[in-house]
Amino acid sequence: MAIRGAGGGICHIMRRIALLLIIFFIFSFFTLSAASAQVQVRMRVIQASNVGQSIDPSLKELHDELKTLFSFTSYRLLREENLNLSIDQPFSISVHKGKTSLETTLVGQHKNVAELRMRVNREGTDILNTQVRLSPGRTVLVGGPKHGEGVIIYALTARF
Amino acid sequence: MKDLCSSTSKLLEKYFDQEVTDKERLLVEGHLKDCSACQSALMSMEELRTLIKNPVEEAVQKENFPWVWQKIEREIRLQEKRTWWQALRSWLDVTPLFKKKVWIPAVATVVVLLFITAQIFFKKIPSYSEASVVEYVESETNNVMVYDLEKAKVTVIWLFEEPEEESATS
Repeated sequence: MAIRGAGGGICHIMRRIALLLIIFFIFSFFTLSAASAQVQVRMRVIQASNVGQSIDPSLKELHDELKTLFSFTSYRLLREENLNLSIDQPFSISVHKGKTSLETTLVGQHKNVAELRMRVNREGTDILNTQVRLSPGRTVLVGGPKHGEGVIIYALTARF
Repeated sequence: MKDLCSSTSKLLEKYFDQEVTDKERLLVEGHLKDCSACQSALMSMEELRTLIKNPVEEAVQKENFPWVWQKIEREIRLQEKRTWWQALRSWLDVTPLFKKKVWIPAVATVVVLLFITAQIFFKKIPSYSEASVVEYVESETNNVMVYDLEKAKVTVIWLFEEPEEESATS
Protein backbone atom coordinates (compact mmCIF):
# COMPACT_ATOMS: atom_id res chain seq x y z
CA MET A 1 0.00 0.00 0.00
CA ALA A 2 2.81 2.38 0.88
CA ILE A 3 4.65 1.62 -2.40
CA ARG A 4 1.52 2.24 -4.45
CA GLY A 5 1.00 5.56 -2.67
CA ALA A 6 4.57 6.72 -3.24
CA GLY A 7 4.39 5.85 -6.94
CA GLY A 8 1.18 7.79 -7.31
CA GLY A 9 2.74 10.81 -5.60
CA ILE A 10 5.77 10.78 -7.89
CA CYS A 11 3.56 10.47 -10.95
CA HIS A 12 1.51 13.42 -9.73
CA ILE A 13 4.60 15.59 -9.30
CA MET A 14 6.10 14.41 -12.57
CA ARG A 15 2.88 15.48 -14.29
CA ARG A 16 3.23 18.92 -12.73
CA ILE A 17 6.85 19.17 -13.81
CA ALA A 18 5.90 18.10 -17.31
CA LEU A 19 3.25 20.81 -17.39
CA LEU A 20 5.72 23.41 -16.11
CA LEU A 21 8.20 22.34 -18.78
CA ILE A 22 5.52 22.68 -21.46
CA ILE A 23 4.75 26.20 -20.20
CA PHE A 24 8.47 26.95 -20.24
CA PHE A 25 8.80 25.67 -23.80
CA ILE A 26 5.84 27.77 -24.93
CA PHE A 27 7.38 30.81 -23.22
CA SER A 28 10.74 30.10 -24.91
CA PHE A 29 8.99 29.72 -28.25
CA PHE A 30 7.37 33.12 -27.93
CA THR A 31 10.65 34.64 -26.79
CA LEU A 32 12.44 33.25 -29.81
CA SER A 33 9.59 34.38 -32.03
CA ALA A 34 9.90 37.87 -30.61
CA ALA A 35 13.64 37.76 -31.23
CA SER A 36 13.03 36.99 -34.89
CA ALA A 37 10.16 39.44 -35.30
CA GLN A 38 9.29 41.10 -38.53
CA VAL A 39 9.50 44.76 -39.37
CA GLN A 40 6.96 46.46 -41.52
CA VAL A 41 8.50 48.84 -43.98
CA ARG A 42 6.53 51.20 -46.15
CA MET A 43 8.26 51.64 -49.47
CA ARG A 44 7.25 54.18 -52.07
CA VAL A 45 8.82 54.40 -55.49
CA ILE A 46 8.62 57.96 -56.78
CA GLN A 47 9.49 59.34 -60.18
CA ALA A 48 10.78 62.87 -59.91
CA SER A 49 11.20 64.97 -63.02
CA ASN A 50 10.99 68.46 -64.38
CA VAL A 51 8.27 67.55 -66.84
CA GLY A 52 5.06 69.14 -65.68
CA GLN A 53 4.17 70.69 -62.35
CA SER A 54 2.13 68.01 -60.66
CA ILE A 55 2.68 66.35 -57.31
CA ASP A 56 0.92 63.07 -56.71
CA PRO A 57 -1.76 63.56 -54.01
CA SER A 58 -0.64 60.35 -52.29
CA LEU A 59 2.74 62.01 -51.67
CA LYS A 60 1.12 64.83 -49.70
CA GLU A 61 2.91 63.94 -46.45
CA LEU A 62 6.30 63.98 -48.20
CA HIS A 63 5.56 67.10 -50.20
CA ASP A 64 7.35 69.56 -47.89
CA GLU A 65 10.47 67.41 -47.60
CA LEU A 66 10.64 66.81 -51.35
CA LYS A 67 10.23 70.51 -52.01
CA THR A 68 12.95 71.41 -49.50
CA LEU A 69 15.44 68.80 -50.67
CA PHE A 70 15.04 68.72 -54.45
CA SER A 71 14.37 71.10 -57.30
CA PHE A 72 12.13 68.81 -59.34
CA THR A 73 8.77 70.16 -60.38
CA SER A 74 6.87 66.90 -60.71
CA TYR A 75 6.61 63.91 -58.37
CA ARG A 76 4.67 60.79 -59.34
CA LEU A 77 4.12 57.73 -57.19
CA LEU A 78 4.99 54.71 -59.32
CA ARG A 79 4.52 52.03 -56.71
CA GLU A 80 3.82 51.60 -53.05
CA GLU A 81 4.50 48.47 -51.01
CA ASN A 82 4.07 47.60 -47.35
CA LEU A 83 6.77 45.05 -46.77
CA ASN A 84 6.92 42.62 -43.87
CA LEU A 85 10.64 42.09 -43.75
CA SER A 86 12.17 39.21 -41.86
CA ILE A 87 15.84 38.93 -40.97
CA ASP A 88 17.96 38.04 -44.02
CA GLN A 89 14.93 37.68 -46.28
CA PRO A 90 15.58 40.07 -49.21
CA PHE A 91 12.75 41.79 -51.01
CA SER A 92 13.25 43.18 -54.48
CA ILE A 93 11.22 45.84 -56.20
CA SER A 94 11.73 46.65 -59.86
CA VAL A 95 10.84 49.58 -62.08
CA HIS A 96 11.72 50.66 -65.56
CA LYS A 97 10.67 47.26 -67.02
CA GLY A 98 12.93 45.46 -64.58
CA LYS A 99 16.05 47.39 -65.56
CA THR A 100 16.39 49.04 -62.19
CA SER A 101 15.67 47.24 -58.96
CA LEU A 102 16.08 47.89 -55.27
CA GLU A 103 16.73 44.90 -53.04
CA THR A 104 16.00 45.53 -49.38
CA THR A 105 17.08 43.15 -46.62
CA LEU A 106 16.45 43.43 -42.92
CA VAL A 107 19.78 42.62 -41.31
CA GLY A 108 18.96 43.44 -37.71
CA GLN A 109 16.42 44.79 -35.33
CA HIS A 110 17.18 46.30 -31.94
CA LYS A 111 14.26 47.72 -30.01
CA ASN A 112 12.86 50.43 -32.28
CA VAL A 113 15.65 50.44 -34.80
CA ALA A 114 15.62 48.36 -37.95
CA GLU A 115 18.83 47.86 -39.84
CA LEU A 116 18.26 47.65 -43.57
CA ARG A 117 20.72 46.79 -46.28
CA MET A 118 19.79 48.18 -49.69
CA ARG A 119 21.22 47.36 -53.05
CA VAL A 120 20.29 49.31 -56.19
CA ASN A 121 20.89 47.27 -59.30
CA ARG A 122 20.88 48.56 -62.86
CA GLU A 123 20.86 45.94 -65.62
CA GLY A 124 22.71 43.36 -63.55
CA THR A 125 25.24 45.76 -62.01
CA ASP A 126 25.10 47.03 -58.46
CA ILE A 127 25.25 50.79 -58.65
CA LEU A 128 24.66 51.48 -54.97
CA ASN A 129 25.15 49.52 -51.75
CA THR A 130 24.15 50.98 -48.43
CA GLN A 131 23.08 50.04 -44.95
CA VAL A 132 20.83 52.29 -42.90
CA ARG A 133 19.14 52.34 -39.51
CA LEU A 134 15.48 53.16 -39.55
CA SER A 135 13.91 54.45 -36.38
CA PRO A 136 10.26 55.42 -35.83
CA GLY A 137 9.28 58.50 -37.78
CA ARG A 138 12.42 58.55 -39.90
CA THR A 139 12.31 58.38 -43.68
CA VAL A 140 15.23 57.38 -45.84
CA LEU A 141 15.19 58.53 -49.44
CA VAL A 142 17.41 56.67 -51.86
CA GLY A 143 17.41 58.52 -55.15
CA GLY A 144 19.29 59.31 -58.28
CA PRO A 145 18.93 56.38 -60.70
CA LYS A 146 17.65 57.68 -64.02
CA HIS A 147 14.15 56.76 -65.02
CA GLY A 148 12.66 58.10 -68.21
CA GLU A 149 12.89 61.86 -68.17
CA GLY A 150 13.55 62.00 -64.48
CA VAL A 151 14.96 59.99 -61.61
CA ILE A 152 13.71 57.39 -59.19
CA ILE A 153 13.45 58.11 -55.49
CA TYR A 154 12.81 55.23 -53.11
CA ALA A 155 11.22 56.41 -49.86
CA LEU A 156 11.44 53.98 -46.95
CA THR A 157 9.72 54.32 -43.60
CA ALA A 158 9.68 51.68 -40.86
CA ARG A 159 6.63 50.88 -38.76
CA PHE A 160 7.09 49.34 -35.31
CA MET B 1 -24.75 -22.96 36.90
CA LYS B 2 -24.42 -24.51 33.49
CA ASP B 3 -27.27 -22.34 32.14
CA LEU B 4 -25.69 -19.25 33.71
CA CYS B 5 -22.30 -20.19 32.21
CA SER B 6 -23.90 -20.62 28.79
CA SER B 7 -25.67 -17.23 28.97
CA THR B 8 -22.57 -15.49 30.37
CA SER B 9 -20.26 -16.92 27.73
CA LYS B 10 -22.44 -15.16 25.13
CA LEU B 11 -21.69 -11.89 26.91
CA LEU B 12 -18.04 -12.71 27.35
CA GLU B 13 -16.96 -11.42 23.92
CA LYS B 14 -18.92 -8.22 24.43
CA TYR B 15 -17.35 -7.90 27.89
CA PHE B 16 -13.91 -8.44 26.39
CA ASP B 17 -14.57 -5.70 23.84
CA GLN B 18 -15.97 -3.45 26.59
CA GLU B 19 -19.31 -3.23 24.90
CA VAL B 20 -21.48 -4.47 27.77
CA THR B 21 -23.85 -2.42 29.90
CA ASP B 22 -23.11 -1.87 33.60
CA LYS B 23 -25.68 -4.48 34.51
CA GLU B 24 -24.16 -7.01 32.13
CA ARG B 25 -20.65 -6.20 33.34
CA LEU B 26 -21.63 -6.89 36.97
CA LEU B 27 -23.25 -10.11 35.92
CA VAL B 28 -20.17 -11.29 33.97
CA GLU B 29 -17.70 -10.24 36.66
CA GLY B 30 -19.80 -12.04 39.34
CA HIS B 31 -19.85 -15.17 37.25
CA LEU B 32 -16.14 -15.04 36.42
CA LYS B 33 -15.27 -15.19 40.14
CA ASP B 34 -16.73 -18.70 40.36
CA CYS B 35 -16.35 -20.07 36.80
CA SER B 36 -12.91 -21.30 35.83
CA ALA B 37 -14.10 -22.26 32.31
CA CYS B 38 -15.16 -18.69 31.58
CA GLN B 39 -11.95 -17.36 33.15
CA SER B 40 -10.02 -19.64 30.84
CA ALA B 41 -12.09 -18.46 27.84
CA LEU B 42 -11.39 -14.82 28.72
CA MET B 43 -7.66 -15.52 29.06
CA SER B 44 -7.69 -17.23 25.66
CA MET B 45 -9.25 -14.13 24.15
CA GLU B 46 -6.54 -11.93 25.67
CA GLU B 47 -3.79 -14.21 24.42
CA LEU B 48 -5.31 -14.20 20.95
CA ARG B 49 -5.48 -10.43 20.94
CA THR B 50 -1.86 -10.16 21.99
CA LEU B 51 -0.94 -12.67 19.33
CA ILE B 52 -2.57 -10.58 16.60
CA LYS B 53 -1.85 -7.09 17.92
CA ASN B 54 1.93 -7.31 18.25
CA PRO B 55 2.76 -8.33 14.66
CA VAL B 56 0.29 -5.79 13.29
CA GLU B 57 1.82 -2.98 15.33
CA GLU B 58 5.31 -4.02 14.25
CA ALA B 59 4.21 -4.04 10.62
CA VAL B 60 2.62 -0.61 10.97
CA GLN B 61 5.84 0.81 12.43
CA LYS B 62 7.81 -0.59 9.52
CA GLU B 63 5.48 0.85 6.90
CA ASN B 64 5.97 4.33 5.41
CA PHE B 65 2.70 6.12 5.58
CA PRO B 66 3.64 9.75 4.75
CA TRP B 67 2.58 9.34 1.13
CA VAL B 68 -0.77 8.02 2.17
CA TRP B 69 -1.13 10.81 4.67
CA GLN B 70 -0.16 13.39 2.05
CA LYS B 71 -2.82 12.06 -0.25
CA ILE B 72 -5.37 12.22 2.54
CA GLU B 73 -4.31 15.78 3.38
CA ARG B 74 -4.53 16.76 -0.27
CA GLU B 75 -8.02 15.38 -0.51
CA ILE B 76 -8.99 17.21 2.69
CA ARG B 77 -7.53 20.43 1.33
CA LEU B 78 -9.49 19.97 -1.87
CA GLN B 79 -12.65 19.90 0.17
CA GLU B 80 -11.72 23.18 1.82
CA LYS B 81 -12.36 26.42 0.06
CA ARG B 82 -8.98 27.96 -0.76
CA THR B 83 -7.81 31.22 -2.22
CA TRP B 84 -6.17 31.16 -5.63
CA TRP B 85 -2.82 31.90 -4.01
CA GLN B 86 -3.13 28.94 -1.64
CA ALA B 87 -4.19 26.76 -4.54
CA LEU B 88 -1.19 27.88 -6.57
CA ARG B 89 1.21 27.29 -3.68
CA SER B 90 -0.22 23.86 -3.11
CA TRP B 91 0.02 23.12 -6.81
CA LEU B 92 3.63 24.23 -6.95
CA ASP B 93 4.58 22.35 -3.80
CA VAL B 94 7.25 19.91 -4.88
CA THR B 95 8.78 19.27 -1.45
CA PRO B 96 7.90 15.55 -1.52
CA LEU B 97 10.02 15.37 -4.64
CA PHE B 98 13.15 16.34 -2.75
CA LYS B 99 12.93 13.05 -0.91
CA LYS B 100 13.44 11.29 -4.25
CA LYS B 101 16.08 11.75 -6.93
CA VAL B 102 13.70 11.94 -9.87
CA TRP B 103 13.92 15.76 -9.92
CA ILE B 104 17.59 15.77 -10.93
CA PRO B 105 17.03 15.31 -14.71
CA ALA B 106 14.12 17.77 -14.63
CA VAL B 107 16.21 20.45 -12.90
CA ALA B 108 19.12 19.78 -15.26
CA THR B 109 16.82 20.27 -18.27
CA VAL B 110 15.46 23.53 -16.87
CA VAL B 111 18.98 24.82 -16.16
CA VAL B 112 20.10 24.02 -19.72
CA LEU B 113 17.03 25.74 -21.17
CA LEU B 114 17.56 28.77 -18.95
CA PHE B 115 21.17 28.94 -20.07
CA ILE B 116 20.09 28.89 -23.72
CA THR B 117 17.36 31.50 -23.33
CA ALA B 118 19.52 33.73 -21.13
CA GLN B 119 21.75 34.30 -24.15
CA ILE B 120 18.79 35.87 -25.90
CA PHE B 121 17.66 37.92 -22.90
CA PHE B 122 21.07 39.25 -22.00
CA LYS B 123 22.32 39.75 -25.50
CA LYS B 124 24.21 42.99 -25.62
CA ILE B 125 22.07 45.52 -27.40
CA PRO B 126 24.07 48.22 -29.09
CA SER B 127 22.85 51.74 -28.61
CA TYR B 128 22.38 53.79 -31.68
CA SER B 129 22.39 57.49 -31.95
CA GLU B 130 19.85 59.20 -34.10
CA ALA B 131 22.67 60.94 -35.97
CA SER B 132 24.14 57.79 -37.48
CA VAL B 133 21.36 56.69 -39.79
CA VAL B 134 23.63 55.60 -42.61
CA GLU B 135 26.05 52.88 -41.54
CA TYR B 136 27.80 52.76 -44.87
CA VAL B 137 27.23 53.69 -48.48
CA GLU B 138 29.29 52.68 -51.47
CA SER B 139 29.13 52.79 -55.24
CA GLU B 140 31.81 51.60 -57.61
CA THR B 141 30.28 53.38 -60.58
CA ASN B 142 28.92 56.69 -59.33
CA ASN B 143 29.38 59.45 -56.82
CA VAL B 144 27.12 59.32 -53.80
CA MET B 145 25.97 62.04 -51.43
CA VAL B 146 24.38 61.57 -48.01
CA TYR B 147 22.31 64.36 -46.56
CA ASP B 148 20.36 64.52 -43.32
CA LEU B 149 17.40 66.76 -42.78
CA GLU B 150 17.28 66.38 -39.01
CA LYS B 151 14.29 68.61 -38.42
CA ALA B 152 12.10 66.51 -40.69
CA LYS B 153 13.88 63.25 -39.80
CA VAL B 154 14.69 62.57 -43.42
CA THR B 155 17.94 61.11 -44.71
CA VAL B 156 18.80 61.31 -48.38
CA ILE B 157 21.22 59.01 -50.18
CA TRP B 158 21.69 60.42 -53.63
CA LEU B 159 23.38 58.68 -56.51
CA PHE B 160 24.89 60.93 -59.18
CA GLU B 161 24.77 59.17 -62.49
CA GLU B 162 27.35 59.96 -65.20
CA PRO B 163 26.22 62.33 -67.98
CA GLU B 164 26.76 59.74 -70.76
CA GLU B 165 24.69 57.16 -68.83
CA GLU B 166 22.06 59.81 -68.33
CA SER B 167 21.81 60.41 -72.06
CA ALA B 168 21.73 56.66 -72.70
CA THR B 169 18.85 56.01 -70.32
CA SER B 170 16.74 59.07 -70.94
